[in-house]
Amino acid sequence: MGFTFEWQVMLETFPLLLSGVKLTIIITLGGLFFGFIIGAVTGLMKLSRSRFLRKLAGIYVESIRGTPLIVQVMFLYFGVPMATGLRITPVAAGIIAIAVNSGAYIAEIVRGAVQSVDVGQTEAGRSIGLTRIQTMRYIIWPQAFRRMIPPLGNQFIISLKDTSLLVVIGVAELTRVGQEIIAVNFRAFEVWLTVGIVYLMMTLSIAKVLQMTEERLEKRSAR
Amino acid sequence: MIEIENLHKSFGSLEVIKGIDLHIRPGEVVCIIGPSGSGKSTVLRCINRLEDATSGRIILDGSDLSDPATNINQVRAEATMVFQGFNLFPHMTVLQNVTLGPVKVRRMSKEAADALGIELLQKVGLAEKAGSFPDQLSGGQQQRVAIARALALRPKAILFDEPTSALDPELVGEVLEVMKQLAREGMTMVVVTHEMGFAREVADRVVFIDQGIIQEENTPDELFGNPQNPRLRDFLGKVLSHG
Repeated sequence: MGFTFEWQVMLETFPLLLSGVKLTIIITLGGLFFGFIIGAVTGLMKLSRSRFLRKLAGIYVESIRGTPLIVQVMFLYFGVPMATGLRITPVAAGIIAIAVNSGAYIAEIVRGAVQSVDVGQTEAGRSIGLTRIQTMRYIIWPQAFRRMIPPLGNQFIISLKDTSLLVVIGVAELTRVGQEIIAVNFRAFEVWLTVGIVYLMMTLSIAKVLQMTEERLEKRSAR
Repeated sequence: MIEIENLHKSFGSLEVIKGIDLHIRPGEVVCIIGPSGSGKSTVLRCINRLEDATSGRIILDGSDLSDPATNINQVRAEATMVFQGFNLFPHMTVLQNVTLGPVKVRRMSKEAADALGIELLQKVGLAEKAGSFPDQLSGGQQQRVAIARALALRPKAILFDEPTSALDPELVGEVLEVMKQLAREGMTMVVVTHEMGFAREVADRVVFIDQGIIQEENTPDELFGNPQNPRLRDFLGKVLSHG
């Protein structure tokens, strides 16, 4: 075998990964920001009275959920520019891919949370003369939003890990940076272990923040 | 005030209301009684257009509810509803529950709405709960807040859909007391209820609905004292022997 584990490599690797961590975070936050907007709009479209809007939202959600993210990424970065002549940077493609992908899952989160609010709340809102939009904005959405927080946190963790797939289009995120380090020092064991630990630190932090948010909300609603 | 003409309502193939005519005059208190599933709540929900009538006409304060040109939101605010399950907004304080309608529907300033809200909460005896949240209140208190919320629109009529049916027995009285006070002040009220004592004491007119039609309507004294319809007699026999 002849393998000796070298602590030193892990310690050296860690600071080199920071630029990748930064890009991973930027792409995740950017992707989820737009993903939430897409998801909120699509989720509400799924609840629309218009059959057309419901169908349209359904096609989007099913196409995204039914295809691998890596195919979506490559289609977006290599396929779309070929057809349209528009070139985008790998980072922009990464953010768009995460947004479009998470949007489909967030749409289902939004739809489920809105539907879980008791129909009596809508009736009470309408009965005092609020319009459909006012009822959604002041009564249903605030209640639904609280229920979205746990599944949204979950999606946050999933999307963060998904950014590692952007390695295929050359985005210098965490996984890519790890690969580049190995190309130089050939210490696959130590470097991938470090990369894994860094991902774990990020996802555990999100989980912790999520747990604290939930506890605060629970305290507020139990009072 | 409220004119219902030949109202029909079906859910799928099930016809729940089979032709109801009912005219409610300003200041009148009308109690609707009848067995479960007889369509009484559906009539109320059609007046507020939480349900769309299958056919027939409902005219509320001169506005035809079936006319597409009618601004349903404004009309709804003229006949607000108190629900069996209270349906308070759990994420808002008691005061916010009451002032939401005045601010968003009536375009009242926040200050004026707050003043109105406090006044109405005083009326239902809950001014000191203005800053509480609904889940900190008992069922009876929640229903009194719901009444204040319904009053806050300054409606021409209030529709009560079994307002005491979800309450513990010892909390029924406080809600009925508030309703009696409203009746004395001349509020137009349509009350679907199982509280025969309340109907007898407060109603100007009692309507007995069964099998989707009005089987009998009369003053409470006549309706309870001298029921004509055999279904009504049967119904009263059942409920009064338990009451």
